[in-house]
Parts: sequence; C-alpha cells; structure tokens
Amino acid sequence: MKRRTARRGTVVASVAVVGLTVGAGAFVADAAHPASTAPTGSAAASGEPIKLGVLAECEGEFGGFNEDVIAGVTLAMINQAGATSNSRTTATEGFSGAVAGGRPIDVVGVGCGDATPDRIIQEVRTLVEQDGAEIVIGPLSGDEAIAVANYAKDHPDVTFIDGIAGSQDPTLAVQAPNYFRFHGDGAQWNAGLGDTVYNDAGWRTVAVIADDYSFAWTSAAGFIADFCAVGGDVVARVFPPLGTTDYSSWVQQLPDPDEVDGYFWAVGGTGTEAALEAFVNSKGDLTGDQHAGNLFFNPSLATALGPDIAGAYIGGFASFPGDVHTPAIDDYKASADAAWDSLVGGTTGGEAAAPSQSASFGFMYGYYTAGLALIQALNAVDGDLSDGHAALRDALSTMTLEAPFGNVTLDENRQGIIDTYVAQLVLDEESGDVVQKTVSIVPQVDQTFGGTFGPDTPPPSRDFPGCETRDLPWSGNEIPVVDGVPQTEGAASGGSAAAGTEAMAPETTAAA
Amino acid sequence: MTADVVSDSLEQPLVPRPHLGRRRRWDWKLVTGAVLIALVLAWILFFARGTSAGAAIDEPGKFVVTLLDGLTLAGLYFIVASGFTLIFGLMRTVNMAHGSLFLLAAYIAVEVQQRMVGKTRNITSDDVDMWSWALPLLIGSAIAAVIGFVIFAVFLRWNHGQELRQALITLAISVILADQILAHAGGLAESMAWPKGVTHFTQIFGQRYATSRLFVLAIALVVGGALWLWLNRTRMGIVIRAGVADEQMVRALGINIGIVFAITFFVGSFLAGMGGVMVASFAGVSTGADGQWLLHSLVVVIIGGLGSIRGAVAGAVLYGMVSAFAPAYLPRDYTYYSIIFTFGLLAIVLAVRPYGLFGRPE
Amino acid sequence: MNETIASSRRTIRTAVVVAAVALLLVMPLIGTDFFVNFALTRTLILGVAASSIVFLSSSVGMVSLAQYLLVGVAGFTIGNCVAESGKGLKLGLNPWLAVVIALAASVLVALVLGAIGSRTTGIYFLMLTLTYAVIGYYVFSQVTSISGFGGITGVDPPGFFHEHPVRIYFGLLVLSVVVYAGLRALRRTPFGLSLEGIRDDPVRMGALGFNVPLHRTLAFTLAGLIAGAAGVFNIWWNGQIDPTSVAIGPTLDLLVVAVIGGIGNLEGAWLGAFVYVVANNYLRSLPLVDHIGITEARFNTVVGALVLLIVVLSPEGLSGIFAGLFDRVSRPRSAPLTPATAGGPAAPPSSTNQQPTSNMEEQQ
Repeated sequence: MKRRTARRGTVVASVAVVGLTVGAGAFVADAAHPASTAPTGSAAASGEPIKLGVLAECEGEFGGFNEDVIAGVTLAMINQAGATSNSRTTATEGFSGAVAGGRPIDVVGVGCGDATPDRIIQEVRTLVEQDGAEIVIGPLSGDEAIAVANYAKDHPDVTFIDGIAGSQDPTLAVQAPNYFRFHGDGAQWNAGLGDTVYNDAGWRTVAVIADDYSFAWTSAAGFIADFCAVGGDVVARVFPPLGTTDYSSWVQQLPDPDEVDGYFWAVGGTGTEAALEAFVNSKGDLTGDQHAGNLFFNPSLATALGPDIAGAYIGGFASFPGDVHTPAIDDYKASADAAWDSLVGGTTGGEAAAPSQSASFGFMYGYYTAGLALIQALNAVDGDLSDGHAALRDALSTMTLEAPFGNVTLDENRQGIIDTYVAQLVLDEESGDVVQKTVSIVPQVDQTFGGTFGPDTPPPSRDFPGCETRDLPWSGNEIPVVDGVPQTEGAASGGSAAAGTEAMAPETTAAA
Repeated sequence: MTADVVSDSLEQPLVPRPHLGRRRRWDWKLVTGAVLIALVLAWILFFARGTSAGAAIDEPGKFVVTLLDGLTLAGLYFIVASGFTLIFGLMRTVNMAHGSLFLLAAYIAVEVQQRMVGKTRNITSDDVDMWSWALPLLIGSAIAAVIGFVIFAVFLRWNHGQELRQALITLAISVILADQILAHAGGLAESMAWPKGVTHFTQIFGQRYATSRLFVLAIALVVGGALWLWLNRTRMGIVIRAGVADEQMVRALGINIGIVFAITFFVGSFLAGMGGVMVASFAGVSTGADGQWLLHSLVVVIIGGLGSIRGAVAGAVLYGMVSAFAPAYLPRDYTYYSIIFTFGLLAIVLAVRPYGLFGRPE
Repeated sequence: MNETIASSRRTIRTAVVVAAVALLLVMPLIGTDFFVNFALTRTLILGVAASSIVFLSSSVGMVSLAQYLLVGVAGFTIGNCVAESGKGLKLGLNPWLAVVIALAASVLVALVLGAIGSRTTGIYFLMLTLTYAVIGYYVFSQVTSISGFGGITGVDPPGFFHEHPVRIYFGLLVLSVVVYAGLRALRRTPFGLSLEGIRDDPVRMGALGFNVPLHRTLAFTLAGLIAGAAGVFNIWWNGQIDPTSVAIGPTLDLLVVAVIGGIGNLEGAWLGAFVYVVANNYLRSLPLVDHIGITEARFNTVVGALVLLIVVLSPEGLSGIFAGLFDRVSRPRSAPLTPATAGGPAAPPSSTNQQPTSNMEEQQ
C-alpha cells in the first residue's frame, strides 16, 4: 500500500508540477503578448505590419475544409501581394512576404471554429483581444457569421471581411459598419433557379424539402422568392431535422410526382443521397427534370440514384462549375496549381490533389475573394489604417472587386451584389457519366430580392417567405451559357444585365 | 427475481409487501399505459385525416409502409444497442466509447470497400457484389472488436465495479478516438454502397418496398437470433447469463470471469462496429455520428432496460416505431416536434419503469 | 491527532482559497485585459457551473450531465426577455427583471427534472441526465420561437456591466465566493448532513424516516440555481446563445472540467476550469508543441488524454493531487503511518472536512 501510494504520489506530483508550469507559462505567455488592447490606430506609418487574423474551421461538420479556407486567403496573398507559401503541400504553415499598400501583412493567428457560434466568439476574441488582429477574414458558417457580425458591431476598431458564410443576417439585419461580405448569401446563390424551372421546365407548383436549420431555410428562401416572383406556387414545405437517419417518413409528407410539378431539395451532408433514395423508395423512380436542388446537388448523386437524376437543376454557389471557362478563371486555377504541388482539402475528399480542385470550389474561393478585396483596398489607400480604418472601409464599400468568377460591388449594407449561376445535371453521352453543366449566369443579384428581404422582415424560416409575385431585377435577364461559354461579351467578368441580353434559351442537353 | 420481493424504489426497505397493495399500484400504471396506447392507435387508424399519411383505414398502404419503416429502423437500432447492453448487463460498464467504435468501423469499412472495388469515388451498387460488402463489414467490425478488447484490457480490467470511473474513462477515450478519426478521415461524410442484389424493390403486403431495408431487417433478425442462441444454448452464453445474475457466484464456482468479460467486450464492440457499417450503408456517416448513435443506443437501452437483450429488442422496436410514425401521423404543422415525441416516449417509460421495461435495479 | 490534522487541513484549505481570491481580485491590475476579461472570466463561469456538478457529486452522490442545460435555460430566458427586436420572444423587459425570471426558470426546470430523476441513482442517473441534456438541445433546436431561429444574438448585459466589461469579472468573482462559501457552509447544516447521509446509505436514511427523493430533488434544484446564475453571466459575457450552446459538446466539456479539477472537491471546479481554459487557449502558444504533432486543432485529443490520465491515476483530480501533496508535506515524521493519516488520494475519509472519496471508488 505504501509503495503504491508513493509511486502514485510521484506520478501525480509530476502531473501537478506540469499543470502548474502550464498555468504559469500561460500567464507569462499572455502577459508577453503584444497589443492586447485595441490597436492604437497610429500604426499607419508605412512599413509597420498589418495584423491579419483568419477564422478557419478545424472541427465540426466543416472541419475537413480547414486547409481549403486558409489556402484561399494565402492564394490571394500569393497572387496579388507577392507572398510565397511556406510549404508546397499545405497552406497551414503560413505564407511570407505579403505586402499590400506598402505594408507587410502578418497573420497573427488562425481561429479554429467548429461551426458553433459560441466557439467562434471565443476564437475571434482571442484573435482580436489577445493577438491584436486589426483585420479579420472569416468565418465560414452562417450561424458563426451572425455572432461575429454582432461582435464586430461592438468592436468598431477592427475590420471584418466575411469568408464564405451563407446567412442573410450578418449584413441584412446586423448591419455592422465594419463587416463586409464580397460573396452572396444562401438565398442569393439560388436566385434564377426558380425562374429557370418555371420557364424552362414548366413548373407551376413546387414542394420544398429542406433541413430544419438556418442555411437550408435561407437556400429555400431564395428559391421560393424567385419561383413565386414569376408566378409559381409552393404547395408543401417539409423540414426534416438535422441528423435524421431515416428520411422515409419525411419524404412521405411530400406530394406525389403526379400531384406537383417539381421538388426543391436543400438537404445536405449524407442526407442528400439518403433523402433522394427515400424518395425513390416511396414515390417511385425519379424523373430528373422534376427536381431541383441547392448547391448540395452534384454529379455524385448519380452513383446512388442512377442516370435518372439527369435533368435536375442545381442552384449556385460562390464559384462556377468546372465547365465555365474564361481567361480569368483559367488563370486563377493555374495560379493555385503553381502555388502548391498538392493540397489536402475537404473538396478533394481528404486526399492530396491538385490545388485547382480546391480552388474551384466555393469555400476556398470565398476566402480568396476576401483576401483579394483586402489587398485591393489596402493598395487603394496606401495601407492607411488611421482614424478607425476610415479610408480602408470607404475603399471597400465603393470599390469594384475584380475577381475571377465575376466582379463584385457592395450594397449599402456592405453586402455583395453578385453574379450567380444555374446549372443542370446532364448525361454526357460520350462517357455515360452524369456531369454538371452551367445553364445560365444570373447577373447582379442583390440581397433584398427586390424587397422580399429586409432588416424588418423575419429571417428565413419554415414559413418565411410566403409566396407572392414580384419584379426581380434579374428575372428574364439571365445570360445563357453554352458549352461553358457565356453567350454575352464580358459576362463572366461581371458584365451587368445591360450588355446584350438575349431571350432565355439555354441549352439543356449536352452537345451531341 | 420475483416482483414481490424487490422494491422498485430504493428508499423503501426491502420487505415483502401485501399482494393487494402491489397489484393496485401496477394496475394504475398499466391502465394509463393502455389508455395512451389505445388513444394513439385510434388516432392513427381513424382520425389522422389531416396528416400526410392519412388515416389507416383510408390509406392502409401508407400504414404498412410506415410500419415497415419503423421495423427496419428498429433493426438498425437493435444491432447498435445490443452490444452496448450486453457489455453493461454483464460488466456493469457503460461504454461511452461505443459510438466511436461504431464510427471507426464505418470509416474502415468504407476504405476497404473502396480498395476492393478499385475506385475512391462514385461507387455504385453495380460495382459491389455481396463479398465486397460483407468483407468490409467483417474487417471493420473485427477491428472495432479488437480495439474494444484493448480498451477493456488496458483501462477497464483493473477497476471492475467502479462504474462511474469506467464511464469517465470510456468517455475520455471516446473524445480521443473521435478527434483522431477527424484528423485522419478529414471530417467528411462517407457512405458504403449496398451490394448489387439488394438495391431494388420487392412487393410486400401489396406495397413496393426497398429490398435494402428488408435486408437490414433480415440481418438484425439474424444478429438477434445468433445472440439468443449464443446466450441460451452455448456454455459460454450460459456463463454470461449467470454472470449477469450473480457475478460473485460465478467466480466462486471457479470460472475465470476475466475471460468471460473479455469475450463479452469483444462481442459487444464487434456489434458496435457492425452497426456502424450498416448505418454507413443505410444513410452514410460523418463526424458527429458517433455521438448521435451513442445517444440512440442510450435511448434504446433506457427504454428497454440495461443488460437485457429482450430489452434491447423492445426498446429498439418502440424507438423505431415512434421515429417512423411521428412525422407521418402528426398534423403537418406539428411534424417539427416529432423528435420531441420520441423523447416523450422516453419520459413516459421512465416514469412508469425507472429502470426500463425489462431492466432491473442491481 | 486526527482532529489536529483535520483542523489544520481546514485552515490551510481556507487560507489557500482566500489567497487565490485575493490574487484574482488584484489580477486586473497585473494581468492583461485579455487574460482577465477572457481567460479568467471564462474560468469563473465554467467554475461556477462545474461547482454545481461537484456539489451534486460529492455531497449527494449524483453525477449530473444536465447542468449545462440549466446554464442554457437561464441564457435563453434572458435572451427572450431582454431583446426587443430580432429573434426570440422579444419581451423587452428590464434586464434585472430578466435575471430574476431566468433564475426562476432554471430553478423550475431543475425542480421538474430533479423530481423525475429522484429515484434513479448511480450510473442510471448519469445516463438519465445525459438524455435530459439531449432532449433539451432538441427542444431548443426545434421550438424556434424560443430559440430564435438559430440563436438569440446581440444580447447586452445591463448598463452597469456593459459600461465596463471588467465588472462582469468582478461580479463573477463575487458569485464564485458566495457559491463556494455557501456550499461549504451547507455541508454543516442539517440539510447538508442529511444529503451526505443519503449519498452514503440511502436505504438506511429512508428507514430513518428521511424523504430521500425529496432531498435529492431539492439538491438538484439548488444545483440548478447555481447553474442558472452561471448562465446569466454566461450570456452577458458571450452576448448570444443558440441551441448548439447546450449541445452534447459543451455538456461533456463541463463534466470534463469537473473531473480534471476533482469531482470530489469543491475547489476542483474552479481549478479544473482554469486548466481547461488555459489549455484551450494557450496550447498553441507553447513552443515546440507542434513538433510532437499537437496543433490547436487537436485540442480535444489533449484534453481527452488529460482526463484519461487523471481518472486512471487520480480520480480526485488535480485538487486531490494538491491535497495529497499537502498531506505528505504536513505529516510529521514521527507519526505512525495509520490509514487515517496516509497521504495521497487513496485515503479514506477520516474527518468531516476532508473531502470524501468520490463515488468512482465505491461499489454502486
């Protein structure tokens, strides 16, 4: 007994010593950290580094995309601020040599979120209050962004540029004067889809099935607003809870294929396939052009559902599908391949792959545009962060961001007015595979959907928005895309609806 | 253990109670339970007109389909929960790492299937024959079983009886395992493809129904049958049941209970892994599925009673039925609350039988 | 001999706690703003919440995983009461009135949950409270009218705290002292003594005429009040609350905090919270740490390993280690090594003030 106690005592004593050392070390480390109070703002002197913080995601359902989002910011630094990556196989080791507006850019910290607001608040507080970040790029998920936008409102001395979060509220409702977003929200990404299925597929009624949480509600809201604006009607809305294993009872609530013209799906994760399989089980085989989905729809659905899914329409996301080529897009992808030999990203299934694959997907692209916007604005104001970043924020608010997948300007809530796209799953007759083809580009989509959404309207939810006709600026002004080429000059580099619009006549079958 | 002697609440002394008093108490709870069940059945059969499935007398087909959905889902729940309750029943260990073993087996099986089929993405069921599904299942479950055994041997063998400590140990292990799975599998959702033969439809009771779901049910029945046979017809099974009833006596009889524990933990973890592969085929898994399915197991065994296979069956069936029927038979505006109904079931069972339907206090 | 050891232990324990409180009082003067307003504030919030777990575990023998749910109930109540626009019920009430309502709400929920679980013990109780936590999460997720479509954001504390955030820190410090002193005093009251009797031998207590389920319910309710108080400060500090705040992750984290600190010792709650917060925040700053494969992304592995180490080696947690160290240091050399004075966490309870070994080492 004595010996065991003694031995155990030694071990626990060592643990105690380690614990005390950690605690003491932590205290010292924190005390030694520079600038833990608000930045003085007098660091406008040329040559002083700009402190950048990045909010990434290392746990939770987006944990696999940590590499992608950090690489997005890094690529922007590489392409336009002269930086080089510290490693050829990962972006998480950082970059060096970034200079914008005559001042070097230092990443003072990378936040590690897990898609929950509580955690991201802790991370952003660490970045700002401990690491002294003056600019923060991120976050990734919608709920996190609402929390960060509220934090931004309470910390007007820091400038925030959203990463790829898809919730409406950060800009529409919170309206923090220091929170900028250069990509669309979940509703904007689905603009034009309703118009397309109404006019091209002839849908007059639709049933909506979406995950029971905010991003799916927002995606559905965009589709519903668009579809109803041109005269369609929503006859059913079904919301299976997150984490449902068995979708059969939920799918069963949808009307049968002969009772409704089409279905809109916003079910994500493993649920996309499981829910569609449940649909096939209970309602019979699919006819593709009776279905439309948000960005969760992709060609891999065909593996489980067969080629019947061909014909289904897909809503947009921050970057365009791989079939769209313009010089700017191709240069962008090539720059990613030049910056790294390979990246292990969520987009590539956790395997090392060509960086252009990650760059083609919205997660990396959203953070890329945030980095671009920062660099472009810093260059415009010569790195002047004085007076509470006044010049920088003015530049951000008024500039036209030149980005590969379309130029972006901001509205009065600092929310991007974006070009999005509508795509379709088509059967490629040569290879026999189902592939994703862009059908049209929807230009200049703004967050309010012509007044449907505003700071005084309820947030998207199970019953908002309702269904009303309305004039939307982009209805009927979509730019058709044929074989990956937009049919209007300058369309993919942000051309507005004014440039030579044609009547909508998109190709819906593959070139054969 | 007869109902007469064992008290069902600890603060009463252990004396036999007059039969009359006890029967009256049971009757009250039984009557309430029966009334509730009758009300629910009446709703489903006759009054559920405003719901999506419709009243069963109007639309018997939908009723049959929902019934089958509940049964097949119960099959999944049973496979996963049976290992959990087996380990607790014999060893009184709440294995909080059950979900992690579930997820680990699923990811490993997906990896094995990808290698067998030769593709990493877009695997269709046409590519997968029965062996390409069964071998990953066996490998994944076996690895889960081995890791479960290692956990038992290193961390749990020497503190038998300290239930809370074991729960905390397995909890810590589950946190570590979940994080390592995230680190190596990348946090992405993965799914297994069913073998070619089970992907189409069969006609059952006049309804078209997915064969894969019936396959799940068949496997669950096989697992249940095998467990029953093992526990009731083999020597090892009888020793296990004896150990569940009276561990000290088993030791006193000279049986090496340590080996029995090890085998039980191995089998229980194997079942956890098997459940993981089944769920990966049925719906896919991602990080977070481990916690989710640990909770499903907990719900099943809380309803059914810890330590009882019969309880696992009962709990799985009840849980599966409520999960399937609630979204279909609630009025459309209230289907969002069906998950609360599930836990309402839990609360009702606990109010009536605090140790579960077939469970016993120590 | 035992009495002298016991009372000197008590004195030393009190002295250590007083010294710690004094240090915390002056910390805003010597520590950085971030350390005080973030790390220490978060430590105190988690400490108060974890103290409710430790109280239930060490005094009553009930290990509860539902405490963070009660923290969330208070938070959601405040959010719904205070907001005038945006999300939730938008009642727009006076913030101080909202505090009263929030505390009442967590007390009420704790009363109901405690009553349902008052006849369940041991590991069953742990699992029951886990399902409470899960049910609570789903209720908040699904009933969006009270959880505000994904969370209630933009909640400001009352003006007094809002003007100077460091007042939240001081408020929490006062709350921690009150809770700690109160719980320690409770042990010597008849109610507290009867709780300990119920922990040790509920059958005998029942035979003696104590209403065991009622005592357990009341203890759970008191723990709910403490957790609710932590929840009030939590939403003031965080500014927002959403369903994932009460999900399984934070629920288990609170138990981890209690275990690290020592689930049998009241001081362990704050000590465990401090270690947890410090490890969470400063792990990435430690030099050389990423050379052994640990990045901040692998924080969970580190915490899991730490908990495993503690539960395997020393169920009394870190506070038990310190208590054990003190015992070894203070034991006079000439004293015989009786079981009552043997140092280390394996020592059985020998006096009323020594923290009893936790349930982990007893047959349930």
